[in-house]
Amino acid sequence: MGEVIVITSGKGGVGKTTTTANIGASLAMLGKKVAVLDADIGLRNLDVVLGLENRIVYDLVDVVEGVCRLKQGLIRDKRFEGLYLLPAAQTKDKSAVTPKQMQDLCKELKKIYDYVLVDCPAGIEQGFKNAIAGADRAIVVTTPEISAVRDADRIVGLLEAAELNSPMLIINRIRIQMVKKGDMMNIEDMTDILAIDLLGVVPDDEYIVISTNKGEPAARDEKSLAGQAFRNIAKRIMGENVPIMDLDIQEGFMVKIAKLFGLK
Amino acid sequence: MTLNNNIEFKGTKDGLIIHLNESCEYEKLKEQLIEKLEHAKNFFIGAQIARIEGKSLTSNEESEIIDLINNRFGMIMVERTEPLEKTTACSTKEVFMGLDEGVTRFVKSTLRSGKKIEFKGNVVVMGDVNPGAEIVAYGNIVIMGALRGIAHAGANGNSNAFVSALRLQPTQLRIGKFIARAPDNSSYNPKYPEIAFIRDEMILIEPYLTKNR
Repeated sequence: MGEVIVITSGKGGVGKTTTTANIGASLAMLGKKVAVLDADIGLRNLDVVLGLENRIVYDLVDVVEGVCRLKQGLIRDKRFEGLYLLPAAQTKDKSAVTPKQMQDLCKELKKIYDYVLVDCPAGIEQGFKNAIAGADRAIVVTTPEISAVRDADRIVGLLEAAELNSPMLIINRIRIQMVKKGDMMNIEDMTDILAIDLLGVVPDDEYIVISTNKGEPAARDEKSLAGQAFRNIAKRIMGENVPIMDLDIQEGFMVKIAKLFGLK
Repeated sequence: MTLNNNIEFKGTKDGLIIHLNESCEYEKLKEQLIEKLEHAKNFFIGAQIARIEGKSLTSNEESEIIDLINNRFGMIMVERTEPLEKTTACSTKEVFMGLDEGVTRFVKSTLRSGKKIEFKGNVVVMGDVNPGAEIVAYGNIVIMGALRGIAHAGANGNSNAFVSALRLQPTQLRIGKFIARAPDNSSYNPKYPEIAFIRDEMILIEPYLTKNR
């Protein structure tokens, strides 16, 4: 029996979809059978980030309504063995499915897959309720901004109310130089407020923009720092004990180069 | 009263057709429908409803309306409305035969992501079709602009249908029962009109040049 993990944030634009795609890809690279499920009906993106848009024939709503079988709706990823996508419908809206239907769908999926990752839409309305309905665990994504942390806090509250206890936190898009200068919230500030377990810290990485536009998850790239962070997160989800990446070292290296050229 | 135009009843030999205004919200439509039916309750008792047209409803909404018609107002729903078939296993006589001369819908705007046009005939779009938008037509599809979304011509099994566009760059192209998708890393973006059709059980795309015709 697999596990259903919902990836949520409350606030939009913090990187839920990118996180879902990359954790999905990382878990698949580690030999797991993974289904990623786009719950953002009407504003689907996960298919684009994974570069699978042109393969969509059936979607989540078709599966739920019984237009096609579950197997027909699932798209096999072109690069990652064991990674499957169930895309959202674009021409419908959130009311096209009910939490009960999502629950049943998740139940079916976790019979077949080791991990089912649900990409939750922004907000706390119907789409959010659908997305968390079938989940066993939750991951809350936030960025080091007060607004994002505020929304994440609300989400943690709602998750606990829905009996999804002890959600895990991913801090996305952190810039260690700015944190050091005191221009950006640091990790401790955020874990203090949210008081949930830290699953990972993902540095701000230009490569993410490139990979998203190409439709290729960064997790595959050995050089990408963010990719490395996502691979570590996947290992932690599987229960391995991987220390949080020391982003300071990376920065230290850059400073060394700067020093070398006499810039500092 | 402003609510009159949102719901229209049309009489046909098969029964009444209820037409719902496409731009109106569902909740509003439902309210107005109840109001209208309540208004002439005795008139509608026992009436046969052939189908519901216009606004595309989700299955929940549709069953709610049908429930309303059947149970609350004592009318009879003759035939359940069915959305256009997605995969085509229709018998040949049902296939749309108006490829040369037949009903045609003109869409005079650009179709953005999330918009879906379904029509039991030919479709002409005077604008672009963006990624995430979808056209499903029983007949041909002509796009006077760029096709970047999904187009399905001959949707109920007519593989003689064609799709043409000034810029043919679809996410996915379907004709009859055939499906083709865009190559994964395509740098091929011709700047001339193209036409897609079925030949030898395959979707073929070629430049649309008038001098060849």
